[in-house]
Amino acid sequence: MLSKKKKFDKTAFLFIAPAFVLFTLFITVPTISSFYYSFTSWDGINPNITFIGLANYKEIFTSARFGNALKNTALLTVVISICENVVALALALLVDNVCRAKNLFRAIFYLPVILSGIVSGFIWKIMYSYNFGPINKVLDVLGLEALKQDWLGNADIAIWAVAVVMIWKGAGYYMIIYLAALQGVPQDVQEAATIDGASAVQRFRYITLPLISGSFTICFTLSLINGLKVFDQIAVMTDGGPGFATETIVYLLYKSGFGEGRQGYGTAVGVVLLFIILVLNSIQSTILRKREVQL
Amino acid sequence: MKKALSVLMAAGMTAAMLAGCGGTAPSSESTASTESSTAEAAAAESIVTEPTEMTFVFADGDDAFKTQMNKIVDGFNEKYPDITITIQPGDGGSYSEFLKTKDSVGEFPDMMEMRDTAMYVRAGKLAPLSDEVASLFSSNVDFDGVTYTAPFSGANTMGMMYNKQYFADNGLEIPTTWDEFITLCQTIQDKGDMAPLVVGGSDVWHIGFLYDLCYANDVLETDPDFIEECYTGEKNFSDPNYQQALTDLSQLLGFAQEGWASTPDAQITTFFVNDMAAMMFSGTHMFSQITDADPEFEFGWFAVPDREGKVSLLGGGTAGGWALSAEAAKDPNKQAAFDAFCQYFFSDEVYGEYCEVMAAIPTTATMPTMDVSEQFQDVLDALESADYLHLMWNQEIGNKELPPDFRNFAYKTCIEIAQGTRDVNSASEELQKTWDVALQSFNPTTGLGVA
Repeated sequence: MLSKKKKFDKTAFLFIAPAFVLFTLFITVPTISSFYYSFTSWDGINPNITFIGLANYKEIFTSARFGNALKNTALLTVVISICENVVALALALLVDNVCRAKNLFRAIFYLPVILSGIVSGFIWKIMYSYNFGPINKVLDVLGLEALKQDWLGNADIAIWAVAVVMIWKGAGYYMIIYLAALQGVPQDVQEAATIDGASAVQRFRYITLPLISGSFTICFTLSLINGLKVFDQIAVMTDGGPGFATETIVYLLYKSGFGEGRQGYGTAVGVVLLFIILVLNSIQSTILRKREVQL
Repeated sequence: MKKALSVLMAAGMTAAMLAGCGGTAPSSESTASTESSTAEAAAAESIVTEPTEMTFVFADGDDAFKTQMNKIVDGFNEKYPDITITIQPGDGGSYSEFLKTKDSVGEFPDMMEMRDTAMYVRAGKLAPLSDEVASLFSSNVDFDGVTYTAPFSGANTMGMMYNKQYFADNGLEIPTTWDEFITLCQTIQDKGDMAPLVVGGSDVWHIGFLYDLCYANDVLETDPDFIEECYTGEKNFSDPNYQQALTDLSQLLGFAQEGWASTPDAQITTFFVNDMAAMMFSGTHMFSQITDADPEFEFGWFAVPDREGKVSLLGGGTAGGWALSAEAAKDPNKQAAFDAFCQYFFSDEVYGEYCEVMAAIPTTATMPTMDVSEQFQDVLDALESADYLHLMWNQEIGNKELPPDFRNFAYKTCIEIAQGTRDVNSASEELQKTWDVALQSFNPTTGLGVA
């Protein structure tokens, strides 16, 4: 068997170099240095840094606050991953099958994506306001006062209110990915199935779904990572509250690092989050890849 | 040719990406005008050897404060044409975090409003005040004999603002004891016209106002060294007095308007002047906001007494104020510019207007000339006759200095009690756990973390 000698491709290297240098500088180096800081009690501003071994990690795994943040993050991640993808797929099917103003609908559904997390957070904070918000006003007008809620001030509801905003903001993005996949499903296969007597549901279940499963892998992976990283909306809408009801891991990381002057602890939280993302992502990829079908 | 083209493209990409990363234009929300006539420029005495630019950051969440500061900086820049102080946007909501973030990304301002003075002094980030600036104040808070901040107001005295018309119409009296105060709240709640109290619980620091009231009445009056004793282990957060404070705060929040937990501090004036709440507990800085919101609205002010009718008020000098960064102080021109700014800010005319508009307690050795509103006069009288004066627990220094951000953890725990998701005993336990963890890296009584 002939072995193909690999040659150093200078041109390819030059194309890769800019991205490689920037990635190393702004991602790899800070990530590696994070491991060091996670073993210290650095407050973020003092040049004297004290090494404290595993104390930060010990605190993380025994702290009720981290447990609460982990629970909230898990809840948001699961809910957002599932709901965002269901809504996105439904919107994609809708846009794909609509006969008129396809581009208009696509633009409308995509609109929330272009808003920054901060801006959408502010908009929804006003929407949810108990005394002045349009949601409660509409309920008032409809005579549904009993359904009025302090959407962001009630510890039992606040996290769901945040989830709704994230789904509203994220679904349009995944819709575009699903739409591209739907438009790539060969029409001849669909037509053959129709001639064979397959119903619309059967065609969707046995032809469309398997052929767009590659998009599922991408969308679920992205929404999982976004769910685990949720920060902007929490910071703007609830500040982690009421109490600690909507504190997530990233929010705790930020609060510890910058609010409480515990950069070492905050960094350790970040390292733990990195491993959580790696593990969940590899599990999810393994499961979803098995379902992918290619023609 | 192809190779040359790819090399060019790769170089172009690098340049484009780097250009995208670099932000060279200084961001400024309000670069105060430096335009002035040549005559004025010639008249102003030059205190710097070359044109000097200073970045300036303060908590700009309060509109009245922001407007005043913009006006003062504009006036200063006009008076000293060779100095340009540029106000950068501050983050009123979480200013302490904002300043730490600025430091982390290498954008620590030249001069700033300093709140966590002790932490920044320990990190060597602040320059000492010059003798001429330090001598402007009636008293200074120093660290090992060195003063780092120019306090622009005394402790922001908190008190209860009330709707005068509503009180008069319903025959409601100013309470003279805590129990009378609770009865008053209950009476208003039973009437159902409006909420007894408006609370901006969405901003966790606003909870700190009411927390301070209960903490001062129940804990500080009998044990002013409570925090120090918690450090040494003589006291803990299951202390009956401390638990009483938590219970009182929870009871008080029960009289707040519906939706208090999601109401921002910026909205509370709206509730107050629109007859949606009869009382509002906040600092003197709210006087101008109320008047701005409705000049016709009649309101009064009273200090909330303790169970025995005694009054404990926030008062005295604090460690916060204007500060110059140690880095900026290395430049003699910036040091001179900062000194000139302090002299200008605390001059009779400028500081008098500032204190008048902001209803701020003056800190200067010489009282500035100012017209005092009826409500502000009530505050000054109450400060004179108060049984106790204290500082907010997070403004204390030395052996009473709180671990970083312990206060916010405590306030959030108090919200949990008020919402019924945690009881007082469990809150005490949780606070103690967090306190014990904090003590592993910070304990001023042993010198840990403060050296």
